[in-house]
Amino acid sequence: MAIAATIPSAQFQGLRPVDAQGLTKKIVEPILKTENLWKLYRAGKVEVPALRGVNFSVAPGESVAVMGPSGCGKSTLLYTIGGLASASRGTVLVDGNDLATMSDAERTKLRRSKIGFVFQRFNLLPTMTAKGNIAIAQYIHGDGFDPHRFDVVTKLLGLEGRLNHKPSEMSGGEQQRVAIARAIINEPKILLADEPTGNLDTKNSDIVLEMLRQLNKELGQTIVMITHNPEAVTYFDRVVHMRDGVIVDGIPAD
Amino acid sequence: MMGEMILRNLVHRPIRTFIGIIAIAVEVALVVLIVGLTSGILSETAKRVEGVGADIMLQPSSAGVIIGMSNSPMPVKIKNRLEQLQYIQSVAPVLLQFNSSGGVELVYGIDKSFDEVSGGFVFLQGRNLQEPDDMLLDDLAVQSKHVQVGQKLRLFNHDWNVVGIVEHGKGSRIFVPLSTLQELSGATDKASLFFIKCTRPEHTDDVIAQMKTVFPNYTIRAIREYVSLMTSTSVPGLNAFVDAMIGLAVCIGLLVIFLTMYTTVIERTRDIGVLKSLGANSPFIVRAVLYESAMLCAGGILAGIGLSYALRAGFLRAYPTLSILITPEWILRAAAIALFGAVLGASYPAWVASRKDAVEALTFD
Repeated sequence: MAIAATIPSAQFQGLRPVDAQGLTKKIVEPILKTENLWKLYRAGKVEVPALRGVNFSVAPGESVAVMGPSGCGKSTLLYTIGGLASASRGTVLVDGNDLATMSDAERTKLRRSKIGFVFQRFNLLPTMTAKGNIAIAQYIHGDGFDPHRFDVVTKLLGLEGRLNHKPSEMSGGEQQRVAIARAIINEPKILLADEPTGNLDTKNSDIVLEMLRQLNKELGQTIVMITHNPEAVTYFDRVVHMRDGVIVDGIPAD
Repeated sequence: MMGEMILRNLVHRPIRTFIGIIAIAVEVALVVLIVGLTSGILSETAKRVEGVGADIMLQPSSAGVIIGMSNSPMPVKIKNRLEQLQYIQSVAPVLLQFNSSGGVELVYGIDKSFDEVSGGFVFLQGRNLQEPDDMLLDDLAVQSKHVQVGQKLRLFNHDWNVVGIVEHGKGSRIFVPLSTLQELSGATDKASLFFIKCTRPEHTDDVIAQMKTVFPNYTIRAIREYVSLMTSTSVPGLNAFVDAMIGLAVCIGLLVIFLTMYTTVIERTRDIGVLKSLGANSPFIVRAVLYESAMLCAGGILAGIGLSYALRAGFLRAYPTLSILITPEWILRAAAIALFGAVLGASYPAWVASRKDAVEALTFD
């Protein structure tokens, strides 16, 4: 199903509004901050560091692209700041909450309310329809099914006609839009995207990137995205490069 | 929403779901039929003994609850002493003989006094016993043996003439003359038990009291007491057998559910990672697995109830003399047992699922 590459601003009505000033770069307090973040993996008796003292912060409403070669720790960083993996050392502050000191259950609770994930391989539940995949996130969130929010989000992502289809009946682009809808349905503070265009063709990549950009610009959605795609970074406020488990710079994209 | 997810998961793998349901169904049917068969046979035997119409039965001292199991028949002349007691209307000696060829059945050797105690048979065809080689069958035995009045039936290496078909419910399914059976079994002038009819039922206790003084070494029971004793608890080893069979059935269900849910959890590793990334906590994951198992079990229970009735119908068609008692109580018990086994079988897979590392799960292929 073809959709417009840009989303009319009117379609954002009903979603969480941007702060009063429209952009959030002016807010000083970061919504996401890591300090000396280490993540060590065990390979037999050897500890392999995936993150080695990462210092990184993201302001509310900011969109940040994280780039770097394979194995440099990008995904580990994303999973750690998203609370899916625990930090070995250091601090991970998400909206003022230190994930590094939290139990797995506490991180899960925080993730449920403040973080949305988009993955390269879409990761939709194969047995559920698009509607079910989005609604399950609302169900897990605990507020039950909100039909208004659901309608606004699915319309925003051009999914109205595909809601009763299963992932196997949808194109990659459609699946990723469902995944984005699922990620933002509960109005998370931060959207974390792990190479969301990695499995898409150029056309669908552009659509997804444009949607993410508009979510950021129109709604003030904070986004951290991992990508290998140099063209993708033009959609983001800032680009961060990683190498060997550390951030090597933080250059504004424009 | 969880219900929809579980239902879709079950539908997504129809063969596996079908096998799981069938396994539970077999478990339920096994429990229901084994219990139904044991309690059915006991209850039906008790009913038939009750149907004789006697008030008291006298057996040798070694007699158990299951009649016909004693190898020490009593002298028939005991009848004469019994008839001298107060409040006794009639006494019927019966020689019992097990026939194990073509199924296990108890043959009653009777004389005319049996009619006095029982009030006589209800004849569907033919006549009563008159000649030494005559045989009466009840209607269910006729269906089972496929014989008609006028035909011969070989039993105990002897050819019997089927002379009458009677309504079932009076002691045995096969009746032959007492004297002939005594001769054939080498128990001349012997009887396995005596059915005693009192002049009035309320005299039963008085008669028993008299009998106990006259026959202190014999087993004397009121028929109502005998009927109440005909449960699996009164039959040595039967409860243990039933429990063992139920245990076996539970093991089948438990193992199949374990395997089904374990493979399900492995197959859905990535989905579990996705649910965790959405904020699903461990109890949510455990609940999802257990609910799925319970839903599978519910389907199996329904199928099992249907299977039980179908198998009972099949058995009764093939073996009309069988009695299988399916009771709502045991259907509920079987369902509870199956559910317990299913939840137990799914517990470990559920625990494994809840413990999965989210990041590893998301990258699972």
